[in-house]
Amino acid sequence: MTDDVVEADAHLDFDMEDEADDAGEHAEAIPLGDPCLVVDDLHVVFRVFGGKKREKARQQGLHVQEAAPPRQGFVKRLLGAGRQHVGAVSEVHAVRGVSFTARHGESIGIVGINGSGKSTLLRAITGLIPPHSGSVYVDGEPALLGVNAALMPQMTGAKNIEIGGLALGMTPKEIDAKFDEVVDFADIGDFVDMPMKTYSSGMAARLRFAISSAAVPDILMVDEALATGDAAFKARSKARIAEVRQQAGTVFLVSHSISTIEAMCTRVLWMHQGQLVMDGPVEQVTEAYRQFVRANRQARSGGRNGGERRNRARRNRDGAQA
Amino acid sequence: MPTTTSAERRAIAEEHGLTRMGVRPPLWTYVKDVARRGAFIRVLGTASAYARNQNTYLGQLWAVLNPILNAAVYVLIFGMLLNVSRGVDNTIAFIVIGVFLFRFVEQSVNGGAQSIAKRSNLIRSLHFPRAVLPLSNVMSHLATLVPALVVMCLIVLGSGLLPDYEPVPITWEWLLLVPAVAMLWVFNMGLAFIMARLVAITPDLDNVIGFILRLAMYGSGVIFPVVRYVSELPEWMQGWMGTILEFQPIAVYLYLGRASLMNEDSFVQEPLMWGLGAAWAVVFFVAGFIIFWRGEERYGRD
Repeated sequence: MTDDVVEADAHLDFDMEDEADDAGEHAEAIPLGDPCLVVDDLHVVFRVFGGKKREKARQQGLHVQEAAPPRQGFVKRLLGAGRQHVGAVSEVHAVRGVSFTARHGESIGIVGINGSGKSTLLRAITGLIPPHSGSVYVDGEPALLGVNAALMPQMTGAKNIEIGGLALGMTPKEIDAKFDEVVDFADIGDFVDMPMKTYSSGMAARLRFAISSAAVPDILMVDEALATGDAAFKARSKARIAEVRQQAGTVFLVSHSISTIEAMCTRVLWMHQGQLVMDGPVEQVTEAYRQFVRANRQARSGGRNGGERRNRARRNRDGAQA
Repeated sequence: MPTTTSAERRAIAEEHGLTRMGVRPPLWTYVKDVARRGAFIRVLGTASAYARNQNTYLGQLWAVLNPILNAAVYVLIFGMLLNVSRGVDNTIAFIVIGVFLFRFVEQSVNGGAQSIAKRSNLIRSLHFPRAVLPLSNVMSHLATLVPALVVMCLIVLGSGLLPDYEPVPITWEWLLLVPAVAMLWVFNMGLAFIMARLVAITPDLDNVIGFILRLAMYGSGVIFPVVRYVSELPEWMQGWMGTILEFQPIAVYLYLGRASLMNEDSFVQEPLMWGLGAAWAVVFFVAGFIIFWRGEERYGRD
């Protein structure tokens, strides 16, 4: 990694949680099977409305800072005023040429700082976001663990179990059979007949997880799902993921918590600016990633103390974010 | 970073029989996929119909009150104040049937247009044939239409009791409202498919829909018999304009609805209109489905 990239990243957020209760655990290695997922030179591009100027800078590999525009004549300004608001369509290259192969029985963690394209990569390999170029080959149907978007807060928990189950592709019969199990797993008791918007955030999160893990997919994708819920629920979720892994083979996990990744994964992909920086065994990659994050934290605080002129704008931004 | 070349990876994929993602399924497979999601379409549709009116004191009553108030405004202004109902005896029945049925078309077009664009979150988190979204949206409007239709029939019946109006008898023809609405439903699903694809790809079109719908409303004789006004047009337009106004799909369905409930000489049962109604429904549904399917792999990309 070159210095200017590190420098450019310094204003990004670095969320890296180390959770004590995960420390020291390791995922059980399962003998690897045949390849079940092949990602070949995957690119994902988003269409963005109304963001031309910033995007231009980003494409040049710079991290965009709001700068004072050069003084322009009145007429020029008048003509240019509309440009950012009318017909401003630009593209964000979120995933840039990622390739890897996953095998049955693997549990793969994806790490990276905010905005590095982890979630987009996960959605793209699930087939939810169409690739711009490149391709994804799978055995069976991958499913993202996350049914949130299908649920309706106004409806009761029971109705949401039905809607969520159907959205996941279960038949009404299967849902009936699994209904009690889901309610027990979510531990919501009589609240099942109340509208979901009356739930506490923990209850809602538990119900969502319970619904989405009711269907056992071939390839399971988890995006920060473990960040919510209490300790007991976390333990049960982990057991559920291990079970899926035994049955279905492959689990992908995106998490901000490195210790969760260490506890649950056998292999890690490190994403940075939409590209794969490192792909390897869990200890090796998480060690390198920890070092990278530490180096960046230092670089950032160093910039602050130095008080260089060009850092002023950045400092103001950080202050505003805090 | 990767240790294999693109060709090698493709060979691995082929060797182990992996299938490529994000490729549009063949039409027939897609039809079967959608059919398998019938329960999802129904539940999602009825649940969102219920959720729509949930945060009000009168709740589900609004599904009926809303079109009644709407019709009342048009009856007051166009029926009584402007008196534009040339040759129609029962103005109230004419306007009420028009407004209630057209509302279904309007809601399906608006709902269909937003069914993909507004639910990109859902599209980006779960796998299912995307045709489920416009279909369930139309289903949700059908769910609110059914109780409204009962009220519509009562209003038509009640209008016969007014002093200046002829009594409205209940005949076996009233049953024909069911197939008429069923055909309208099929037609609306086709419209929703087309709108969903258009707006998903060009979101700007969402702003134009309102105007087109208003044009459709006045051009279909929802609140006054527009066909009777053709004679006011310049002569060279009268022929083809008259044909379009009379036989375009929305006008056909309104005619069928009125022919079923109203007891008037200008709205008798006509086999030609029934045939046209069925034809329009099939044409729009099939064309809409194919148009929508052809964009399947692009929804959710933004």
